[in-house]
Amino acid sequence: MTATIQRKQRTSAPPRTRLPVSNFAAKTTMAVTGLIFVGFVFVHMYGNLHIFRGQEEFDHYAHWLREILMPLMPYAGVLWVLRVVLLISLVLHVGCGLLLWTRARRARGPFKRTGLRRGDALMARSMLGTGLVILLFVIFHILDLTLGVQPAASGAFESGSAYANLVASFQRPVVALFYMLTMLVLTVHVAHGTWTAANDLGATGRRLRQLAAWVAGLVAIAICLGNISIPVLVLLGVIQ
Amino acid sequence: MKLTLKVWRQESGAEEGHFEEYLLEEVGPEFSLLEALDKLNDDLVARGEEPIAFDSDCREGICGACGVTVDGTPHGPQKNTPSCRQHLRSFEDGATVQLEPFRSGAFPVVKDLAVNRSALDRVIGAGGFVSTSVGTAPDADAIPVTHEAAEWALDLAACIGCGACVAACPNGSAQLFAGSKTMHLATLPSSSKERGRRAKGITRAAEEEFGPCSVYGECAEVCPAGIPLTAIAGLNKEKLRQVLRNKDD
Repeated sequence: MTATIQRKQRTSAPPRTRLPVSNFAAKTTMAVTGLIFVGFVFVHMYGNLHIFRGQEEFDHYAHWLREILMPLMPYAGVLWVLRVVLLISLVLHVGCGLLLWTRARRARGPFKRTGLRRGDALMARSMLGTGLVILLFVIFHILDLTLGVQPAASGAFESGSAYANLVASFQRPVVALFYMLTMLVLTVHVAHGTWTAANDLGATGRRLRQLAAWVAGLVAIAICLGNISIPVLVLLGVIQ
Repeated sequence: MKLTLKVWRQESGAEEGHFEEYLLEEVGPEFSLLEALDKLNDDLVARGEEPIAFDSDCREGICGACGVTVDGTPHGPQKNTPSCRQHLRSFEDGATVQLEPFRSGAFPVVKDLAVNRSALDRVIGAGGFVSTSVGTAPDADAIPVTHEAAEWALDLAACIGCGACVAACPNGSAQLFAGSKTMHLATLPSSSKERGRRAKGITRAAEEEFGPCSVYGECAEVCPAGIPLTAIAGLNKEKLRQVLRNKDD
């Protein structure tokens, strides 16, 4: 006995209007801005490693960031160009992310998919939550180490003393813990985000997909290990 | 063996549905899931009750008509296998098995386990066809197609349009389905003449009917045709190509 489908109950196409921003445009925007962030976070992590060369080198590095292309650009010019690019990317990335999330919720219907066990699927499901944690962290991080606004920043904050500010900040265990947790969350977000970006930008070749999967995982782990080593060593008293 | 089936009963799309429990006896591990439902329906009819509606046709995994959600997984516990090829040997004797229709916003329930999957047809109608006249069969090798390209196109053309990818997707996306249809036609010379138009049409229809893809990868786990996850990138690639070139081919 097979289906007894009542043909007259078959619905015709529901009236749909063309989406103002297509999912494709939103996803491509997220992929491009996301890759900008991955590039930024990776370079930022690399820059942070200057801490291991001591106070003078680290402060010098922080100062050097403001002098890139100096005769051509004004003081901190390149830095501000990058900040503006990152800010625009952030607005687009978060905006498109929320847009796609609401559309996905609507398309899914009233029954939530349960029983996801695979790592990939769990990472995909965590993207909104991990993204939110990262956003909150970024706000805190800027208040703490860039602007030096109390109480996010330590009492000892002094503009220009990057090394001292960082050490003073991480000597507060709660801040160090929040930083380390955020790095773990960031690892998941970067790994799945990079892999998704490769798919969104049309990586179909077998080797290209393998490469993308490896790069996604390794870059995420490198960012995590590189950054997390700093608060750990501050708490252990190795960096003072 | 014995099974307790918790089956979703819903009179029509307009009415609320609910689960009902049925004890299924005198079935064996060699029974397919649909044969078990047949047996249950025989029992129900004998008792004068309404049989359970479900879709099914070829029962050998090539038509794409069947599809129920078994314990939350579209088609059933066996990976990449359609409902008709799922067998009771996957379940322990005496187990309770929950049967629901394919769940997705784009698939309204028609009755019990049968859903309306015409949204998939509307995606095909928007570009999943060849409209250029290709004439009669050409001489062999008149249009060169490499062995690799032919095999790849065949792998992607294996999609039977069952809709399990949509039901598996936490976003309700049909990206795997749309990608396989788009890519298999883009891979071959005669059908690639309308690549741009096809990518545009299919993407738009898929976006109007279904959700966006977040690369959960759940679709490729359940796909009875074994369409690889590459197909989802394939649709994006074809669409990106169309946006950059803005041409019909």
